[in-house]
Amino acid sequence: MDEKKFSHNRSSYERPNFPYRCGRGALWHKPCHQGPNLNGTCGGTSECAPSLNGNHWECNRPLSAGGPCGEGPTPQGECFLRHAPCVPKPTLRIYRGRLAILAIGAIFSLICVSWIIDQVQKNYLSFNPGPISSAHIKFVEKEGCSVCHSMHKLGSVSWLQAVLTPANVAAKCEDCHLFGGSAFKAHNADPVKYPKLQDTHCMMCHREHRGDKLHIRQFDAKQCNFCHKEQFDSFSNGHPEFPADYPNSRKDSIKFDHITHLNKYFLDPKFVEHSPETCMGCHQIMQDQIVNPDKYEVVCAKCHDFQIPRKELVLVRLPELDRDRIDRSTVRSACGIPDEDSANNKKEDEDFISISTESPSLVSAYLLNVPENEPEIYSQHLQELILNLAEESTAPLAQLLNDHSPVPIADKMLMGLNPEVLKRAACAWGLNVEYERPAEASFGGWHADLLEVRYTPTGHKDPVAKSWIEFALAVAASETDAEKLKHAIAMRDQMLSSKEGVGGCIKCHAVTQASSEKAEKILSIDWGYKGARNTPYVHYSHKNHLDLLGKGNTCKNCHLINKKADYLSSFDSFDSKKFVSNFYSINRETCVECHAEGQVNQECQLCHSYHFEPGFKKQMLLAEKIP
Amino acid sequence: MVRTWGIWISAILFFFYMTVWTNQTEMALASASVPTGWTLFAILTGLALFNIRKKFPAFPLVNSSSWYVFHVAGGFLAIGIFWLHIGSFWPVGLYERCLAILFYLCTFSGILGLIIQKLFPLRLTQSGAEYIYERIPSEISEIQKNAQDLLLACTRETSRDTLATHYLETLHWFFQRPRFFFSHLFGGEKSAHWIQQRCSNLERFLNAQERGYLRKLFALADVKRKIDLHYALQTVLKSWLIVHLPLAAALMALIVWHIMVVHVYFL
Repeated sequence: MDEKKFSHNRSSYERPNFPYRCGRGALWHKPCHQGPNLNGTCGGTSECAPSLNGNHWECNRPLSAGGPCGEGPTPQGECFLRHAPCVPKPTLRIYRGRLAILAIGAIFSLICVSWIIDQVQKNYLSFNPGPISSAHIKFVEKEGCSVCHSMHKLGSVSWLQAVLTPANVAAKCEDCHLFGGSAFKAHNADPVKYPKLQDTHCMMCHREHRGDKLHIRQFDAKQCNFCHKEQFDSFSNGHPEFPADYPNSRKDSIKFDHITHLNKYFLDPKFVEHSPETCMGCHQIMQDQIVNPDKYEVVCAKCHDFQIPRKELVLVRLPELDRDRIDRSTVRSACGIPDEDSANNKKEDEDFISISTESPSLVSAYLLNVPENEPEIYSQHLQELILNLAEESTAPLAQLLNDHSPVPIADKMLMGLNPEVLKRAACAWGLNVEYERPAEASFGGWHADLLEVRYTPTGHKDPVAKSWIEFALAVAASETDAEKLKHAIAMRDQMLSSKEGVGGCIKCHAVTQASSEKAEKILSIDWGYKGARNTPYVHYSHKNHLDLLGKGNTCKNCHLINKKADYLSSFDSFDSKKFVSNFYSINRETCVECHAEGQVNQECQLCHSYHFEPGFKKQMLLAEKIP
Repeated sequence: MVRTWGIWISAILFFFYMTVWTNQTEMALASASVPTGWTLFAILTGLALFNIRKKFPAFPLVNSSSWYVFHVAGGFLAIGIFWLHIGSFWPVGLYERCLAILFYLCTFSGILGLIIQKLFPLRLTQSGAEYIYERIPSEISEIQKNAQDLLLACTRETSRDTLATHYLETLHWFFQRPRFFFSHLFGGEKSAHWIQQRCSNLERFLNAQERGYLRKLFALADVKRKIDLHYALQTVLKSWLIVHLPLAAALMALIVWHIMVVHVYFL
């Protein structure tokens, strides 16, 4: 290579940052040494720009271009060697810069064009980050983006202001969605109950504009571990064991001893024809998680129906009286019985022997607030009541019941009580004779016989029997007078007795005590089957498992009977927390047999729900349907 | 070298940090897209500043080689941060897809430019000659003039126009301007074969004196061939930016729009 080629007197200095290059060079001819001007015009129409030296012009052509020419400048100071001008060409830099500006302009134009198209077609392609999910698409059809984005449709000025204003999109979710707790707290839990709960918002998990399907962030144990203190890798590896009483931590609403039924009654030849073959003979899957026993009429009635009428309620009983305090003529007058001679009346007074040796019923003892074992005290009150009943039939009794009850309940409690029957019984007792019923009471209900007015429950769900039990519980909880409270509790205990209580309801229905300290005296009857414990964050599909494993006795795979459990003793106490289940706790290892690494799915959300009682507001349902 | 490795290791460490941080943020159910978005914007702005830096060579704004290393390392870092930002390789919205297309095209053109800048200078050095790109027209013109002077001398001295006629019919096309652009670009020898063939075909029709001139002409053609090689390679070395730069400009423009939209509708 000729190294002198680039010496100052053989080559000119190249300036590649100049915007133009010589037009001759662009046509692969020898470029002029002066090159184009910065404005893009030809700078090489003459070989040099002559300079004035004293009084004559001198050639300035540089050595790299051949040095001063022989002709020299003209007398006017112009170069003698002139050329036709070239058309300088832009350099690559210029093309690059122009293309960059063009690209920016193209982007700006595209945004403007798509903006204009958006106003007509409502596709909002210029700022829509993706299609709306099919779950939400119909809600944006009418109002468009403003359903969720409040800044939309506010005009271009407001739109630009919104750049600096927080857009609280998550708040708009509450227009339609509803939860059992706070929408913006973890798991929608109660922030008062759990003050350390983290703030959350919908977009933390739910990502819109990701296509037809609403994109929900997938949860795994690692993500749950971020907040939860007890950390583990997966369900099969490290998940806490289920609680010792899971899922039977709450006292059953129906007292049903699986051990005695399965091992004793279902094997008894008397009942064996009614015995279920499998668990599903009594239980049915209501929803995925809820498996309830079938109705009483289907499951229990065949063996237990005949027991209900045997347990009667004694409303009023003529007790042993110490002496006769009733004016018989008043009784006869009230009862329409002809009056006998006064000598006889006198004799009756002197020779009075009570026809009854019984004690009064606990109901009447409570209503009259008298001790049931002291004839000297209760005789007067009871005879007054009998006289009143003889005169007014049910009215005095109803009055007494309503006076003792927080709410008027007598109509329900005395429903079906024939006033004439009560009156006739009272008339008989007022005259110190037994009441002889005209016929056998074979249909149940209210009836009087000899010394008692009784109620025979007609069957399961008898409303009168229920109302008497509820009355007994209510008054035992509300009485403040010590003496009356003693009678109320005696009456209540009789009602709650599975042997003596009306209908024997308490043989099966659990009685529980209110959990709060203030209301600890209040007892309630679980009339209906309460079903499974409410576990809003846990769900389990019995149906799927039974369909897969078979509906025979596969329940026993997980629900193992604990033969040593003292189940019935739990019901001796009214405390709902004191409970011993018939079953062992579900064993996590049983689940892990299938739900494990490389086997069946074991993601957290398979069994756990994030939200608490999610629902929709009515407003959402009013949205126009897609035709 | 230490500086180069320092920048590369910093970029790799930063990427790993961002990956771990994004993962942790996602685990905490927070959104990593906003911080990663701003990080990506900062990196891309830094990359774009390289072009501005070139316009101020007189200012002491760190030497260009460091800027270049930062640009390359930052470019690769931007790819990783981009994927962290969108959480996938391909977004779903139309305008976001436009943004992704521009990003990928810009990245691809940048990587192509990097490959070109690594390979072509080697080939230019291996050619054994040095030619300033801006002076190639002058060089070609000079060689063409030398070739024509040589032919005039040959015709004068030998009184034969065989060589001159052959030049006008074949070699003149070659000496006029750069030829065999794509052959040179992809490392082909088409040019050398073409010259060889044209000269060897003629040789048997020439006398000894003319053959001497033919050898000189062949030597000039060989020089011209090297200039053509330089022209082809240097043209691509300078021209790939014509693709990369406008794409980068369009990308930055759309990013500004993206930031506005995100702030209006989401943040």
